[in-house]
Amino acid sequence: MSEDVFAPLSGKIVSIDIQPGAAVEEDDEILVIEAMKMETPVFAPCSGTVAKVQVKEGDSVEEDDLLAVIE
Amino acid sequence: MRPYFETMVPFGDALKKGTLKRTEKNLEAVQAAEADLTKAEDAVKSAGLPEEKINARGQMTVWQRLAYLVDDNTWTPLHTLYNPEDNPEGTTNVVDGIGRINGKWAVIIGFDNKVMAGAWLAGQSENILRVTNLAKRLNIPLVWLVNCSGAKLTEQEKFYANRRGAGTPFFRHAELEQQGVPVLAAIYGTNPAGGGYQSVSPTVLFAHEKCNMAVGGAGIVSGMAPQGEFTVEMAEDLVARAKEHRAKPPGSCATHHDATGFFRYVFTKEEEVLDGIKDYMKDMPAYAPKFFRVAEPKAPAFETEEVMRLLPMAPKKVYEFDQILARLVDGSEHLEYRPDYGPEIYTGLCKVDGYLVACIGNRQGYLGKGYPEYADYPGIGGKLYRQGLIKMNEFVTFCARDRVPVIWFQDTSGIDVGDIAEKAELLGLGQSLIYSIQDSDLPMMTAILRKGTAAAHYVMGGPQGNRNNAFTIGTSATEICVMHGETAAVATYARRLVKEKDAGQDLQPVVDKMNELAQKYVETSTPQYCAKTGMVDEVVSMKDLRQYMQAFAGSVYQNPKSICPQHHMILPRIIKDQETLRQKTAASAAKGAGS
Repeated sequence: MSEDVFAPLSGKIVSIDIQPGAAVEEDDEILVIEAMKMETPVFAPCSGTVAKVQVKEGDSVEEDDLLAVIE
Repeated sequence: MRPYFETMVPFGDALKKGTLKRTEKNLEAVQAAEADLTKAEDAVKSAGLPEEKINARGQMTVWQRLAYLVDDNTWTPLHTLYNPEDNPEGTTNVVDGIGRINGKWAVIIGFDNKVMAGAWLAGQSENILRVTNLAKRLNIPLVWLVNCSGAKLTEQEKFYANRRGAGTPFFRHAELEQQGVPVLAAIYGTNPAGGGYQSVSPTVLFAHEKCNMAVGGAGIVSGMAPQGEFTVEMAEDLVARAKEHRAKPPGSCATHHDATGFFRYVFTKEEEVLDGIKDYMKDMPAYAPKFFRVAEPKAPAFETEEVMRLLPMAPKKVYEFDQILARLVDGSEHLEYRPDYGPEIYTGLCKVDGYLVACIGNRQGYLGKGYPEYADYPGIGGKLYRQGLIKMNEFVTFCARDRVPVIWFQDTSGIDVGDIAEKAELLGLGQSLIYSIQDSDLPMMTAILRKGTAAAHYVMGGPQGNRNNAFTIGTSATEICVMHGETAAVATYARRLVKEKDAGQDLQPVVDKMNELAQKYVETSTPQYCAKTGMVDEVVSMKDLRQYMQAFAGSVYQNPKSICPQHHMILPRIIKDQETLRQKTAASAAKGAGS
């Protein structure tokens, strides 16, 4: 079972708190997107292990872009 | 209306393990900021002579009098750090707040007799006018603990005269009395001149046997006509006269109880004076709580202290406003008004101690595709757009009709700007909201949760609405300014930069000025600065936000001037019918999608 994490809005990735292989718990803050002068945290949708991180700090993302995968 | 209000719609979520973990740093930051705040408040409370010295004179301090007078766990302080003229004493020298006395809510204010025997200081009359406005807005008694030595004569030019000077409170007492708001006064100590009017202007006077009040005190009576200069011979004469008058100051209880009868009661012990006030408060006009309650009081389903985790200290961090509100209102229940319109704004009916209140707050974060509908750019919570402004106008207007008091929660960066926003009528809609608020004649309180910025700070129930806004509180995350300091620096210096650049000049001096201005904004928008200058009436611990809402709701419903019968209210019915319609539409859409 894996769960994809999508960008809730367009913006710039300003911080990433996970790396592949790391364990996360549901509702952990995994990265932050900055847009329109505000920082929107993205939380882990489930507990598990980070299988993939699709972005890096400074990347621009569009709404619904894949950010990470949690297994 | 029991089916509407007894159990409303539950909202909010319990904190998950991950939430607890990731909010730990914010909790620590809030606790550190609140510890600083407590330190500043303690400095104000310990201003002047130590308590032991006052007690050794056979007197209680103002704080001891308050502790004796006010019902347990109901003291809700205001203006603790208010010191707009930056007095070296660290205070305006009055202590005030809302509290219950013998079960009835009152606005309570007392002179700090530890500081210059309760002298008038700069900024004090502004403080008192806030307090008289509060009693007027809430329509509850004003209780004074008078112990006022008169003006600090060495600084009289700062406060004695002027339209809102030290004499204005006496007119306000008369105004309150004319409007049926009683002003009760416990009188202690020596109260000459200004102190005399502080004593005599209330409605019923309860005196301690050693107090006095007079048009002029011993210091004036023992003086002499001005002769151009002082000499040693005159000084010797002055010493003799002063000794005589100090032994028997004018306006004692013998004069103002036995002769004039101004003091209605005289008591031997300090506590007995307060007992006299308590006894009178028992008979002050008040509805029984059951008259207005729409349900039994209930604690929120989630701990109010959790707000310290959920309200970010970081000014740019997005959070869920609904989760905060769920920790402040009875049972974490509500009836939300138009949830599918104006997503940047929450509007809904909630309960506080079983009383119906209307809550309005800024939602944060991305507002979804296609919003605002008039623009080709995305919307973000904290900003106000057309729908949000219209929704607030509607909601306030219905609340006025149903006589439901409003509690505002601000965390706003302003109203959407640009020509597209102008065409969407946002300038006019902002002022329309001010019109709706002013037209409502509803009592309101405002909590500036985090940002109070630009015109949005005015239109969302800001303290500028003097007639409506009873009081405004802040938190340790509060930041109030016209715009972000860096934005202000750009607005101020952009043209100058262009000019300097065109002239081939070094830009660094202008850049330095820009940084200075941005830093000034930081320093003049902190919670403590806001409290000191009166931008908020108190900065409160996040865990105490509900206590202020309880004091507000209890006071507002104690003796309102205007009533809407519960079964005549229209707003809950509109909300119910909107929800029914929404469910039908959703069901029919689902059916359509399935076929």
